[in-house]
Amino acid sequence: MPESAALIFAVGVLNAMTPILLTAVGEIIAERAGVVNIGLEGIIMIGAMAATMAAEGFGPLAGLLAGIGVGALLGLLHAVLTAYLKGDHVIPGIGVNTLALGLVPFMLIVYWGSAGQHTVPRYAQVPKIAGYISPMPFIAILIAVAAWYILFKTPTGLKLRSVGENPVAADTVGILVERTQAVAVVVGAALAGLAGAFMSIDWLGVLTKEIAAGRGFIALALVVFSNWNPLWALGGALLFGTFDSLSQWLKVLHTGIPDTLINTLPYVVTLIAVAGVLGRVQPPRHAGIPYRRE
Amino acid sequence: MAAPETGREPVVSMRDIVKIYPDGTVALRGVNLDIYPGEVLGLLGENGAGKTTLMKILAGFLKPTSGYILLRGRRVVWHSAAEALRHGIGMVHQHLSLVPVFTAYENIILGLPSRMLAGARQRIEKLMEETGLEVPLDEVVELLSFGEQQRVEILRMLFRNVDVLILDEPTTNLTPNETETLFNAIRKLKQQGKSIVFITHKLREVLEITDRIVVMRRGRVVGELPRAMADPRLLARMMVGREVLMRVEKPPAKPGEVVLRVENLWVKRDIGTWGVRGVSFEIRAGEIFGIAGVEGNGQAELVEAITGLRRVERGKIYFLGRDVTNLGPAELYRMGMAHVPEDRRSTGLIMDMNVVENSILGLHRWERFLRNKWGMLNWAAAEEHAKELVKKYEIAAPGLYSPVKYLSGGNQQKLLLGREISKNPKLIVAAQPTRGLDVAATEYVRRMLVALRNQGHAVLLVSSDTDEVMQLSDRIAVMYRGRFVVVTRPEEVTEEKLGLYMGGIEQA
Amino acid sequence: MTVTAGNSLLERLRRDPRMHEAVLRFGESIIALVIGLTIGAVILWVSGYSPGEAYYYLFQSSLLDTYGLTSTLSFATPVLLTGLTFAIGARAGLFNIGAEGQLYMGALGATLLAWLAMHVPLLDSPLGTLVGLLLGAALGAGLALIAAMLRVYRGVHEVVSTIMLNWIAYWLVYYLQSQKLYWPKDPTKSIPVPPGARLPLLLPGTELSASFLIAIGFTVFTYYLLWHMVHGYELRASGLSPRAARYAGIDPNRSIMLAFVLGGVAAGLAGAGEVMGRPPHYAITSGLSNLVNMGFDGITVALIGANHPLGMIPAAIFIGALNAGSRAMQAFAGVPLEMVRIVEGVIIIALAVPGILHMIEEYLRRKRELREIAAKEAEASQAG
Repeated sequence: MPESAALIFAVGVLNAMTPILLTAVGEIIAERAGVVNIGLEGIIMIGAMAATMAAEGFGPLAGLLAGIGVGALLGLLHAVLTAYLKGDHVIPGIGVNTLALGLVPFMLIVYWGSAGQHTVPRYAQVPKIAGYISPMPFIAILIAVAAWYILFKTPTGLKLRSVGENPVAADTVGILVERTQAVAVVVGAALAGLAGAFMSIDWLGVLTKEIAAGRGFIALALVVFSNWNPLWALGGALLFGTFDSLSQWLKVLHTGIPDTLINTLPYVVTLIAVAGVLGRVQPPRHAGIPYRRE
Repeated sequence: MAAPETGREPVVSMRDIVKIYPDGTVALRGVNLDIYPGEVLGLLGENGAGKTTLMKILAGFLKPTSGYILLRGRRVVWHSAAEALRHGIGMVHQHLSLVPVFTAYENIILGLPSRMLAGARQRIEKLMEETGLEVPLDEVVELLSFGEQQRVEILRMLFRNVDVLILDEPTTNLTPNETETLFNAIRKLKQQGKSIVFITHKLREVLEITDRIVVMRRGRVVGELPRAMADPRLLARMMVGREVLMRVEKPPAKPGEVVLRVENLWVKRDIGTWGVRGVSFEIRAGEIFGIAGVEGNGQAELVEAITGLRRVERGKIYFLGRDVTNLGPAELYRMGMAHVPEDRRSTGLIMDMNVVENSILGLHRWERFLRNKWGMLNWAAAEEHAKELVKKYEIAAPGLYSPVKYLSGGNQQKLLLGREISKNPKLIVAAQPTRGLDVAATEYVRRMLVALRNQGHAVLLVSSDTDEVMQLSDRIAVMYRGRFVVVTRPEEVTEEKLGLYMGGIEQA
Repeated sequence: MTVTAGNSLLERLRRDPRMHEAVLRFGESIIALVIGLTIGAVILWVSGYSPGEAYYYLFQSSLLDTYGLTSTLSFATPVLLTGLTFAIGARAGLFNIGAEGQLYMGALGATLLAWLAMHVPLLDSPLGTLVGLLLGAALGAGLALIAAMLRVYRGVHEVVSTIMLNWIAYWLVYYLQSQKLYWPKDPTKSIPVPPGARLPLLLPGTELSASFLIAIGFTVFTYYLLWHMVHGYELRASGLSPRAARYAGIDPNRSIMLAFVLGGVAAGLAGAGEVMGRPPHYAITSGLSNLVNMGFDGITVALIGANHPLGMIPAAIFIGALNAGSRAMQAFAGVPLEMVRIVEGVIIIALAVPGILHMIEEYLRRKRELREIAAKEAEASQAG
């Protein structure tokens, strides 16, 4: 492989890694605080859409912020329903995913007047280093490392994890269970929104009606696969990114290996992992269970 | 009021505390309590006397229905346990509230602001040295023994500089050595001027470690005395008390053939330690065999093993002459066993199912409730059955199709008991059958059990209410640490004496 | 004393707790539908459409017009079945969101029949219909069984396992459709089911096939099973309290298995019914485009119908109407048909708010009881 081709391949891997990594790290933060959010797919999609709108009006930075902001809002909605109203954790996520499946194609037609996809103009795209390297993958890696550090090396992380493991214990020593959960979910969903923004106004440069293409669910798989650890998620996301790029290359090279079957791999691996075949993964013990007092 | 050292102000005073739980249970009926600095206060009473509820209110886990708390003379209202903790009141529960996957160190510092973390490790180590409460700080808590976990909780409280440390039944799961370590630590803390409230129903411990003893019964303080004036007999009598209940009339027993025979039974608890350690007995038709004892001494495991809900590790159970060791509940019910479990709300009934549905729980596969072999239910028969129960046992329910969660505790228990009796059983296993019931319902249930015995059913009664066991049983066993310490007859023993057996002070 | 008819009906509603519960649940679903349609109207209005016009065409074309009504019922069919998948699971205390993948497997079963029929002409007949439905049910149940076993033997939570299995099924069926079972004449779809083995249309010229009857039949069966058969009783008991179930001699794990397998059969039948009963394709189209989201829509149906089979029939018709009417809404009011998904999403989110009416009622009840008890205590202490 010529040097430039290798570089292009590496950039491809990094780009493919980024949305999955951001989303998975966000969900790890939320689930470590005990809240499960399966609406990530929808948040990525709506984040991508909002980012495109904002970027076309106010530039790429505004676009990224819009992705984060919309993600945070959807996270807040989830937090209100789960942490404060003690509702079920899974249903709102299904709702958000369904909403996104309607909202994004609807807005493509209504706002951009195009059915199916809209190309983001150059001025609205995140500027690239050396013409084709985005800064975002490096920011995502930084975020993953920072999330790991905060979760496992600081008192704040200790508090957050205690809420997901045993909210009674956390409550007893004065940790505000609901508020901790709300903050974690909002931050987590904001990262998924950022992932969406990256996809539309950076990596792909196009907003399509199925832009997430299952990445929200791959991220969910990665959360489990990584044993709720952002550093493992980084490794896993790199692996997925490599597969993703490789399958693009394989398609180009006509090797005859069906990429549709390769696509099942992350899910199969995750199922094997949760079944305890590859050693044990240990979810936060109170994840997904509403916390009620007395 | 018998203040131990006159002239000293109490650190905490509780005044006129009343607590009514949302389900209607009255736990405290106007309690006053003072706690002085530098004393170990023993809070003594049977299960359900209200000791834990009272202390949970003091530590901010529960809000009183009425009454108030004075902290150093100033009135305080807790909005959370954390607030009480910040003001120097900490409670170590029977069920520890630690984060199992965190290390001991992490559990101790959890929730503290960062400014308090500088040098935390050294200070914890110093604390461990001072009190003798040693734990491996970097070990994950779930890998520690129960005793070590308890020390972590106590250290967590001490590290936050509590003035009042409440320990709820702290010795239940401790080995004798661990108990000794704990007691030594308590003595040292007392010397530092801290107040320790020691909740227990073990007479021996209360006499060994406390300075002053407050006895509670049925939601009231019924006595208070310095340790020097206390003796086991007096305490046992205060604790058990005279019930206001009418005595249940009981003709002499006419025991028939052996219904249940248990031989050298060994059963494990959930946590893997032995709960029942070699118990043997038999029950005959037409007699009530009562098992008394403080809860947590293996009675629950024994009941579950007999009723097919828990694995028997060693030994045999014979029911109606047949070896039924490790047979499932469905089969046992069919043979003629009935079970009134100790937790009716989560085990004996299904709160979200209605009266009719609950009235056939466990009998639902009996021919009379099935229409055909395909398993079609005969709801008409079930409704008829429920109606009969409601009428016969005077169950007050909003309707046959109301979820049973809307019935009062007494009516729930009548429904449960009625359903079990409707199995026309040879043996009824009744665990804590009157717990949490009001006087009328308690009496009703007790009469019922005696009536069953008079009709020739065998009854196994497990209760931590000594008076109940004394009144109802034809033969009594006292269970302590997984064994029967004595098997006797009510006329051959006094309640006091029974209390001493239960407290592990006397052995037969 | 005079009692008007209205009063006695109200009285009955208040008295019979089952009726009372049904009314509360119905009220909560209606609130959610109103919220969904209202937010949808706001979005339409902001986007420059007339909400009145859009909703008129949406419901006029789907409910008030004969062809539209058959179309509504045909769209209600698969989501009613996948709704049952979720509802049966919920009654057993499970959160089975695997209907999507199980439906794909059901469609694959019908497609396998089509492939078999190419080699075995005998199957181009009602016998083939039966074989196709059985294959679909078996494959749907098979996928569900994996989740069931992971739960029972390895303690894997079903939300995680079913999400993974959904995607595995998606890519597997995608692969088979595009690489192995494609129709040589038109590779964008799979081998179509031969005419003799198709599910007959109930009304010629419409899309409403006998699969609708299968769905209704399965719904009634589920109702009977849950409330009139001992297995359903045991399943519900396990779902409400596994501890009490064990006490009553019921094995909760058996209930879990039963719920998963039955749910898998329902979703499998939904998928097979779509392939064997819906003109014009009678096949799986590229990217599974004629199947996607039918499983997830079932969750909406189950939530609106309060996990009660009989309540889910109107809920399925509502969702069916949204899908059927969306085309007319697009054609005549110019509103993109994706609008209905927005409405649906908002409805689900509104349903995620834990029972508003129940919460209000519970609060009032508790307040009243506490007052009564306090009064009784005060009386007692005065007397003593």
